[in-house]
Amino acid sequence: MRQRDGVTVMIFVGVFVLLAIALAPFVWNVLTSFKDKGEYFTYPPVFIPSSFDLEHYIQGLRLGGAKGIKDSFIIASFTTLLAIVFGSLAAYSLSRFRIGGENFAFWILSVRMMPPIASVLPLFLFFRFLRWLDTYQALILTYSLVNLPFAVWMMKGFFDELPVELEEAALIDGCGRLGAFLRVALPLVAPGLVATALFCFMFSWNEFLFALILGRSRVIPVTVNIAGLIGGHEILWAEISAVSIVASVPIIVMAIILQRYLVRGLTLGAVKG
Amino acid sequence: MGGLRRRDWWIAFFFVLPVVVILLSISIFPMIYSFYLSLCKWDIGMGGQRVFIGVGNYLRLFSDARFVNSLKNTGRVLLFGVGTQFLLGLSLALLLNRSFRGRSLIVTLFLLPMMISPVVVGCIWRIIYHYQYGPLNYLLNRFGFRSVNWLGNGSVSPYSIILADIWEWTPFMVITLLAGLQAIPDDLYEAARVDGANRWQVFSGVVFPLLRPVVIVAVLIRVMDAFKIFDLVALLTMGGPGQASESIAFYNYLTGFKYFSMGYASAMSYFQLAVIVAIANVFLRSWRRREVV
Repeated sequence: MRQRDGVTVMIFVGVFVLLAIALAPFVWNVLTSFKDKGEYFTYPPVFIPSSFDLEHYIQGLRLGGAKGIKDSFIIASFTTLLAIVFGSLAAYSLSRFRIGGENFAFWILSVRMMPPIASVLPLFLFFRFLRWLDTYQALILTYSLVNLPFAVWMMKGFFDELPVELEEAALIDGCGRLGAFLRVALPLVAPGLVATALFCFMFSWNEFLFALILGRSRVIPVTVNIAGLIGGHEILWAEISAVSIVASVPIIVMAIILQRYLVRGLTLGAVKG
Repeated sequence: MGGLRRRDWWIAFFFVLPVVVILLSISIFPMIYSFYLSLCKWDIGMGGQRVFIGVGNYLRLFSDARFVNSLKNTGRVLLFGVGTQFLLGLSLALLLNRSFRGRSLIVTLFLLPMMISPVVVGCIWRIIYHYQYGPLNYLLNRFGFRSVNWLGNGSVSPYSIILADIWEWTPFMVITLLAGLQAIPDDLYEAARVDGANRWQVFSGVVFPLLRPVVIVAVLIRVMDAFKIFDLVALLTMGGPGQASESIAFYNYLTGFKYFSMGYASAMSYFQLAVIVAIANVFLRSWRRREVV
């Protein structure tokens, strides 16, 4: 047993070293958000800032951070709602009626895999024609390009796992198809629905390329705001760090809630986890 | 559920209709238009006219040294980035595939880099890589090495992007492969042990063959994502210095939205679409052959 103990200790040390490497950049980011200008532009670097006040957070939110978070929230909420409503309807139809067959289902999935740079180019021209550049609806609609196929596949997986007998019983009891869907199937997949919604929200919140190209001066999601601060003449690291932390906290909370469904969501349902 | 009754067919139809309409209008029709554009010369910046030139843009791609360079950089991300993520992710998944106290907390902590926005990842690493004031060069100096110009040296900057990408995406491999490992029943390990197999034999003879479908899915998803790499390039180097670290997606972005050569940019994006379609086909085929896990 002695040798095994040695191996176990080595494994634990290895895991903790890797964990430290994985987390150190976050720690540095948090520390930076509290540093004054003289403390981040200095060598050797200052590790512990002299004061832990929220000055740079307030300043960062004033420099467009608050507006960015508001815009991201509006866009992410609406696109999530759109994906969830239409996505679960389509998923139910695919799961229960196999409408269009397997090829149709895989066509929907393939839309999710298109390179964003390839789809944003024609969309940019399309929205320019509609005079929709720099509007919420342009981004809400564009994000459904990713979120709709995702929601359809996730929800299809959840409906597939639901025994059909329950709905059949409801149908015999005189419930219509619609009633069986709304009153029986939907409540039973509620946890999956929430997981899918959180994934859609997280994707839209974190997205950068579409936001950069389709937003401009009126609509500036938080990711574009952060990138803009970096591109500025004088880089305010503490403010940038502060905004990036504020923008990450809701996402981290969601990821923790999602843990059970994480693998499934990340692999588009290919690995059930 | 047997054949569709007529009334059910209408419900099934109306349930999928919104998705089909939205996806057609924002993906298929614009894509057809951009295919037409890829056959034209159209520089909207100069107020230029649209001229049909056939396959000219596609021929131009491979004589464009800058495009070839961006192709190389993207290839490096696939080879070194995804390669390292897989090896590191597999090792970590094997280490974490045992029960101990606090395991789920540790797994969650490992996942954080992947959950936050790539833009935030870019920010964090931009500070860390700072030539004069960054903590990474400070650490190197402390151990007696000279400072590395992580983002300002053209032969280093592509690899700095890859390093940040490894940090961000190794967790994806960890969690996916870990899920695959946990789906392997315990008695298989025990049976192999009883038969006298050593650790390596158990891994290569029992674990890896069973894990293979998950490995294929995980690697293909990462390959597809890495092929589209844009955010880290934009945040860390803006493709620089010069054009040293441009990825295809980033060069494509500049062509379309800085130089406004819509025709050439469309051709470039169609090239990427073709590559992705090829990879996605492999992915979907392996998925359809057997329902994974």
